[in-house]
Amino acid sequence: MGDAIVVHNLGKFFNRYHAEKPVTIMEAALSGLRKMQPKEQFWALRHIDFTVASGEMLGVIGHNGAGKSTLLQLVGGVGQPDEGQVRVSGRIGALLDLGAGFHGDLTGRENVFVTAIVAGLTRREVARRFDQIVAFAELEPFIDNPVRTYSTGMQMRLAFSVAVHTNPNVLLVDEFLSVGDLAFQTKCLNRIAELKQNGCAIVLISHDASQVEKLCDRALWLKQGRVAAYGDPKVIAGQYKSEMHTETLRRTPVRPPQTTRSGIELEVNRNRFGSLEVEITDVRLLPSDIIHSGTFLKIEIDYCTNQLIQSPIFSVAISREDGQVCFETNTVNAGVHLPEIHRNGRVTLSLDRLDLSGGVYFVDVGIHERSWAYAYDYHWHVYSLFVQPTSDSSILHPPHKWEMNGTHLIS
Amino acid sequence: MLTSRKKQFSPFKRQWVYLYDLLRELVSREMKLLYKRSFLGVAWTLINPLLQLAVFVFVFQVILPIDVPQYSSFVFTGLLVWTWFQSSLFQSAGAIIGNRALIRQPGFPNAILPIVTVSTGLVHFTFALPVLIIFLLIDGVQLQSVILFLPVLQIIQFAFTVSLSYFFAALNVTFRDTQHTLGVLLQLLFYITPIFYAIGNIPSTYQTLYFANPIVHFVSAYRAILIDGVQPNWFALFWIAMGTLVVLPIGIKVFQRQSHRFVEEL
Repeated sequence: MGDAIVVHNLGKFFNRYHAEKPVTIMEAALSGLRKMQPKEQFWALRHIDFTVASGEMLGVIGHNGAGKSTLLQLVGGVGQPDEGQVRVSGRIGALLDLGAGFHGDLTGRENVFVTAIVAGLTRREVARRFDQIVAFAELEPFIDNPVRTYSTGMQMRLAFSVAVHTNPNVLLVDEFLSVGDLAFQTKCLNRIAELKQNGCAIVLISHDASQVEKLCDRALWLKQGRVAAYGDPKVIAGQYKSEMHTETLRRTPVRPPQTTRSGIELEVNRNRFGSLEVEITDVRLLPSDIIHSGTFLKIEIDYCTNQLIQSPIFSVAISREDGQVCFETNTVNAGVHLPEIHRNGRVTLSLDRLDLSGGVYFVDVGIHERSWAYAYDYHWHVYSLFVQPTSDSSILHPPHKWEMNGTHLIS
Repeated sequence: MLTSRKKQFSPFKRQWVYLYDLLRELVSREMKLLYKRSFLGVAWTLINPLLQLAVFVFVFQVILPIDVPQYSSFVFTGLLVWTWFQSSLFQSAGAIIGNRALIRQPGFPNAILPIVTVSTGLVHFTFALPVLIIFLLIDGVQLQSVILFLPVLQIIQFAFTVSLSYFFAALNVTFRDTQHTLGVLLQLLFYITPIFYAIGNIPSTYQTLYFANPIVHFVSAYRAILIDGVQPNWFALFWIAMGTLVVLPIGIKVFQRQSHRFVEEL
């Protein structure tokens, strides 16, 4: 199939203005238009080359401010490049600012029509797809209520549903997959895979390298507006992650060893990494750090910071002594958005049951910058967890029973 | 395309159908919002000019009598034409900064935004026409066939208002007080437009300057065809139309550049 998106030597610069650039006619008249001229210009994007064929998915990764969103806008024809060309064939659909175009006073039905027509469908086309859109969003009983009565999740679902039912030839996706619950996310992913199979070219922006690795056919890594790497997503995601690790090491300050409240020695760059803007002061495993397989475990993380930290990410991993990760989760994957944190606090993760085989494990705990750019504090192989011996020596020990010819065998 | 379509337009024709649907949907959204937000809803369309009319009739017929025949029809015509111009221009000055979500949508034709506002104004204007006709009949006006030129006047005024809107909306991106300033300027313009007085009251020394205001010609033209039943001043209207044709493409360019700049701001 042909290339749906061709980007050649793309460049875009932004102007930086005086801090006191006049914003009203009055001020401009008084300051005599002097300060209207930009102070300096900088390239937000430069020398960007890539192509996306029909049915292909490109992942763009990079930190905040690397130019990802600007790139997505230019591909979408919003804004004009200052250098190079963007050629896109066919209708463009976009999953950005989901629900931003909704009007609270209008009903779901009215909003679907407005949004879908704005997205590029004619009235007749919307009418034909209307039932499909509503069914996908699972909002049939509410569709004639004003959107202001919807929860944020419902609005997102409806907005997503409209966007993916416009049958675009090119789809631009900005950090999605936080739409609704897990079941709905899966549905979204399936729908995107379906569009892709039907020949839709997709550009996905993410700062989560694993997501790009999992979903995309190709990856582009943007670093301060330049292409840092372009190619196989596995390779690029690996490079990206290792650079994030290096960044964490670089930011880790030198400190004499500390001990946690539970008396474990923490030594920077051995079992502790991070900028220490937020510190993990203690981690407790409840009911105890010795548990039976199949019982519950609660992990309490005490933190302390004297700065205001915006929406940090908490992560917990349970790994074996040899480093094999048995379980890993974080607040982003769970769809939890933390508010800003300040001073002391506690975050708790509860596992209803942990079916690990007997043995010694480590609970690794981390607090990360909101876009995964680096870690604030990461305690690696500090907190041990002992699971009472079980009969098997594999990783998992789920409840199980043997039967023979339908008869339960009792050990 | 991905799914089978029963009816396949040619791409060109589809684009026109699309733009029509888009305009219709956005205008109807404006109307619905107006209707839903207030108890009286679209009735405001009529209440507003009628109240103003009552004020002018009271002041200039009872307190300071002005000698203008068929004064109610005279003022009401002026008010409708003025209200359409004034409210459309004022509202579309916010066309860019109030529609971030739409402008960020890939493929959205930004230039339609002021057209939507002016069209909404036209719908209100049209709703009020029957009331105007009633006033004309009460005042004993004989409707002449020149009234058929009404759509022509509306088209010229429409294009004129839209082309001005582009510039003010674009300026509003750089200077966020444009809309307020425009409000004051429009108030001033209201008084130098013959809405509640006749052009004859203007001293001859100021006449040349006075006629530089295009709205004067619009108001006079509507009155000519509706009340006096004579041909409007086609010469003036022709030059306004020509000026609009020249300015309109420039306005669209400036508008588009500014709307892109607006969504690029980080």
